[in-house]
Amino acid sequence: MRVPWSWIQELVRTSDPLDPEAWAERFPMLGLGVEAVERWGDDWVFDLETTANRPDWLGMVGIAREVAAVTGGDLVIPSVALEEEDPPAQTLASVTFEDPNLCYRYVARMVVEVQVGPAPRWMADRLEKCGIRSINNVVDITNYVMLELGQPLHAFDYDGISGGRIVVRTARAGERLVTLDGVERVLPEGALVIADAERPVALGGIMGGADTEIRPTSRRVLLESAWFNPVAVRRTARAVGLRTEASTRHERGGDPERVRIAAARAAELMRRYCGGRVLRGEVDVYPNPEPARVVALRYGRLRRVLGVEIPREEAERILRRLGFDLETREDRALVQVPPHRRDVEREEDLIEEVARLWGYERIPETMPLAEMGVGRLPEELARERQVREILLRGGLTEVFTLSLLHPRDLDRVRIPPDHPLRRAPRLLNPLTEEHTHLRTTLLPSLLEVLRTNRTRGIPDVHIFEIGRVYFPSGEGWEERKVVGIARMGRMLLGRWNLPEDFWETTFYHLKGVVETLLEELHIPDWRLVPEAAPWLHPYRAASVWIGGERIGWMGEVHPEVAEAYDLRGRAYVAEVALASLLTHARPPEFRPLPRYPAVDRDLAVVVREEVTAAELVEEIRRVGGPVLEAVEAFDVYTGPQVPEGHKSIAFSLRFRSPDRTLEAREVEGILEEIRQGLRQRFGARIRGA
Amino acid sequence: MEQEIRILREEAELDLQRAESPEAVEAVRRRYLGKRGRLTQLLRGLGALPPGERARVGALLNETKEWLLAQLEARAEAVRVLALEDRLRAEAIDVTLPGRRPIPGRPHVLGRTIQEILEIFRSMGFEVVEGPEIETEEFNFRRLNIPDDHPARDMQDSFYLDREHLLRTQVTAVDVRVMAVRRPPLRVVSIGRCYRRDALDATHAPVFHQVDGFLVDEGVRFSDLKGVLSRFAREMWGPQTRVRFQPSYFPFTEPSAEIAVHFGGRWLEIGGCGMFHPRVLEFSGIDPERYTAFAFGLGVERPAMVRYGIGDIRLFWENDLRFLNQF
Repeated sequence: MRVPWSWIQELVRTSDPLDPEAWAERFPMLGLGVEAVERWGDDWVFDLETTANRPDWLGMVGIAREVAAVTGGDLVIPSVALEEEDPPAQTLASVTFEDPNLCYRYVARMVVEVQVGPAPRWMADRLEKCGIRSINNVVDITNYVMLELGQPLHAFDYDGISGGRIVVRTARAGERLVTLDGVERVLPEGALVIADAERPVALGGIMGGADTEIRPTSRRVLLESAWFNPVAVRRTARAVGLRTEASTRHERGGDPERVRIAAARAAELMRRYCGGRVLRGEVDVYPNPEPARVVALRYGRLRRVLGVEIPREEAERILRRLGFDLETREDRALVQVPPHRRDVEREEDLIEEVARLWGYERIPETMPLAEMGVGRLPEELARERQVREILLRGGLTEVFTLSLLHPRDLDRVRIPPDHPLRRAPRLLNPLTEEHTHLRTTLLPSLLEVLRTNRTRGIPDVHIFEIGRVYFPSGEGWEERKVVGIARMGRMLLGRWNLPEDFWETTFYHLKGVVETLLEELHIPDWRLVPEAAPWLHPYRAASVWIGGERIGWMGEVHPEVAEAYDLRGRAYVAEVALASLLTHARPPEFRPLPRYPAVDRDLAVVVREEVTAAELVEEIRRVGGPVLEAVEAFDVYTGPQVPEGHKSIAFSLRFRSPDRTLEAREVEGILEEIRQGLRQRFGARIRGA
Repeated sequence: MEQEIRILREEAELDLQRAESPEAVEAVRRRYLGKRGRLTQLLRGLGALPPGERARVGALLNETKEWLLAQLEARAEAVRVLALEDRLRAEAIDVTLPGRRPIPGRPHVLGRTIQEILEIFRSMGFEVVEGPEIETEEFNFRRLNIPDDHPARDMQDSFYLDREHLLRTQVTAVDVRVMAVRRPPLRVVSIGRCYRRDALDATHAPVFHQVDGFLVDEGVRFSDLKGVLSRFAREMWGPQTRVRFQPSYFPFTEPSAEIAVHFGGRWLEIGGCGMFHPRVLEFSGIDPERYTAFAFGLGVERPAMVRYGIGDIRLFWENDLRFLNQF
C-alpha cells in the first residue's frame, strides 16, 4: 500500500519529528515490508507490503496507530463530528438483506443538494500519491476516506435507485450490469450484488454500476459503507475477474465500527466540500452484532512461549498503545479486543503483538532444552543415499528434472496407448501446454537432458536421477521412486591413441552400471533377461529381475526415439524401481579369506549364435557345483574359423574348495563333465579339446 | 717387479675406464683376476722370489688385488647405473599429454544443497521424514489452519488432481502427517518437491524444493526457534552470518516470522517460521497448553542461487552439464 509520509505525520502527534529514513528500517521490524520509498516533492511515499491478517493496515490510521505505538506519540483520529439536518435518512432510503451470509453490516447515509465538481487540491494530491486518479469531489471523498480509514465506500446517485431501496442479495440467472469501467457483465449466478427494487446496481464491495454513477448533475447521494462477508466478495471478484482497491480491502475482512465511522466521516466531508446537506441519522442494518471479545493473556504463558521475560508493565503498555483495553489480574491481563483488531482471537495473537512491538531482535537465541542426539535417518533413506553414491562413483552425474509432462512426451518415446505407463495422472487445472500430467517414467525427462546437451555441443552425457513417478491406484494415487539412468557418447577423457572400443559407450557400459548397483547393494539372485520394450532397440534390451520380480528395464534407445530427440547417435537408458532395490539390498557379510589355492582353467566352446552367454554360464555352474567359485566369459568371436551362424565363446573358470587343495585330476574330471553337458544341451563343440 | 705392478695398475685402470657394459667389466676382471689373469699369474710367481722380497712384493700384490676388486665393483655399479639410465631414457614419454580418466559423476547442486541442509538439521537432533507430493486438502490446508475459503487455497495457486487432491504447495503438510500418528516429543525435518501453478521462467518454476522442520515438546520457545535457525544459517553460510527475524503472517504459526540472512552485502529471505498455531496442535490432538512447537519452511533453490550467484532458476532443471560440472 502506498503511504504518503505527510499523512502519517498528520495522524501522529509526537515530540520528535518522524524521520522517514529511520522508519524505512523500522517498518519491517513491525511486519510491514518496505517495497520502496519514493521522494515526492517535499514528501515521501512508502510502498508498504502488508500481511493478509491485517485489514486495518490498508488504511492510514492503521499504519499511524503502529507508528504511534512505537514512538509513544498520540494517534489523532480524524473528526467525525457531523452536522445533520432533517428529514431523517430513513424517510428516503431503506436497506434489506436477502441473505444474511452476504453482508454483516450495512450503513447508508443520505447527502442531498450536493454540487458535483472538482475535489479540493490537497485531497486530489493525496489520492494521486496513493495511485488513485481524482474524479470528482463526491467520488474522491469516498476514496479518500477509504485510504484514511481502510473502509471502502460507495456513492450512488440516489435518483437512479428505484424505490430508494438497497437490497443485498445474490445475482439471479441472466442478470446483467454495466459496471463503472463501462463493461457490460453477465453476472455469475450467486455473485454478491447490491440491487435496488428492480435490478442490480453494483457488484457488492467490488465496483458500482454505471446507471447509478455520480454525474455532474447528481444532486442526491446515497452513501454505502458496508462490512461484507469477505468470502462472498472474494468469490464474486474471482468469478467476474475483477479486483479493485475496494475488493482487496473487503476480502481481508471488515471492522464493524469502522463502517459507521467512515460513513459519518465521508458525509461530513461531502457537507464541507460538496456543499451538501447530511440528512439526519443513518440506515444501519446489523442483524447480528458482534459480541465484545475478551482474550486472556497469561504472563507466564507469554514468557514460556517467547523464551524471554518481558516486564508485564511493558507488555501492557504495548497492548494499550495498539488500542486494546486491559483489565489486569495477578497472573494475567484480560484484554478487550478493539473492533479494528478482529484478527486477534486467542492468547497467541496477543503474544505475537507483544513480541512484535517489543522487537523480535530482542528475543535471545537459545537451544531447545531437551537433549539433542543426531537425528535419525530412516533405513530406506540411508539406502537411497547409498544408491546415489554408487551411481556417482560409477561416473554418472545427478540430474533434477520436472515431474510434470505432456502425453506428447509419452508419444515421443513410443509408449503405446494401452501401456501401463500411459496412466499418467492428469492435472485438473494445468497452466501451460507442456505440463499437464504427472510423469509415470523418467524416460522422457532424461532423454530431454540428453537432447539439451547434445544440441548444445556436449556429446558425452552420463546421468541418473532418483525421482518419483506417479500412478493412479484404487481411488487415489500412488508415488514410487525410480532410478533412471541415461548414457551416451564417450566415457573416457584422455583418449588419444586409444581405439574407439576403449571409450565409446555401449550397451555393456549401461549394463555395467546396473550390475555395479545390484552387486554393491549385495542383492542376491538378480538376473537380466532379454526383453524388448517399445522405446528400446528390440534386440538390445533386457529386463532386470530379482527372484521372480521384474524391477526394471534397460537397453539401447530405439533409433526412432533417438531421432525424435535429435540424439544423432546411440544412447542407452535404464529405469529400476528403487523400492525393489532397497527391499532386496543386504548389508555386507564377512566371509573368511580362502585358505586353499584356486585352480584356473579356460574353456572355449562353439555354439549357435542365438545361445546366450547366460545360458552357457547357468549350465557350467550347474555342473560345476560348489567348487566352481567363479565363471566369466572373456572372449566372444565370430569369423573365419567359426562356422556360419555360430560363435566361439571362451570362459575363465576358477575352482576352489574351502577345506582342501583341489587336485588337477579332480578339476579335469569336473571340466569334462561340463564339456559333456554343454555338448548335450547346446550341441557345443569344444575348442582346443 | 714393483715397476711391473705399477704398469699393471695403470693398465687396469685404463681398461676399466673403457669398459662400458657389465660384460666388458667382467672381461676386465677375467683379464686380471681370471685363472690366467695377469695379477693371478703375478701372485702365482710369488714363490719364485727370494724370501727377502717375497713378503714385500706379496703385500704389494695383495694390496693391488684389493684395490682392483674395489675398482671392479665400483665400475660394475657405475656401468649398471649407466645402462639403466640408457634404458629408461629410451622409454621417455611426453608427460604433458592428457591423463586418461573416466568422466567423473557429480551430485546436482540441488541434491548437494539438500543433503547439506539435512545434515545440519540432523546434527541438531532432527529426524528425517518424507511425505507424499499428492496431498489431500485436509493435510495441505485444513490441518494447517487454512480454512476452505482462505485466499491461499485459490485454484490459481495450486495444481489439483480432483476436488480433494492437489500437488502439495508446501512441505509443512508432512508435519501434520507426522503429528497425526505420533506423539510429542517430535523433532522432524522433511525435504522435497512442492508445486505452484507457475510457468517456468527465470524466476519461477512449477516445481520447487522446500525444507520444513518442526519441534513439538514441553517448553519449546520462540527463542529456541531463533537459536536453531541461527545455528543452521551459520553452519550453512559461515560462522559470521547475520540472521534477521521479522514479524510476518502465516495461518499456521503465531507468532510468525520471516527469516533472512545477510549474504553478499544484502538481506536474503530464506523462509518463514513461527510457533505452531495452537489450533494446528489441536487439529492433531496435541494439547497446546502442555506442548508448544515451532516450525519453519525454507527454500532450497533461492539460497543456492544466491550462494553461487545463479541468476536463472531454469538452469537447475535444464541439466546442462557445463552448469552441473561447476559444483
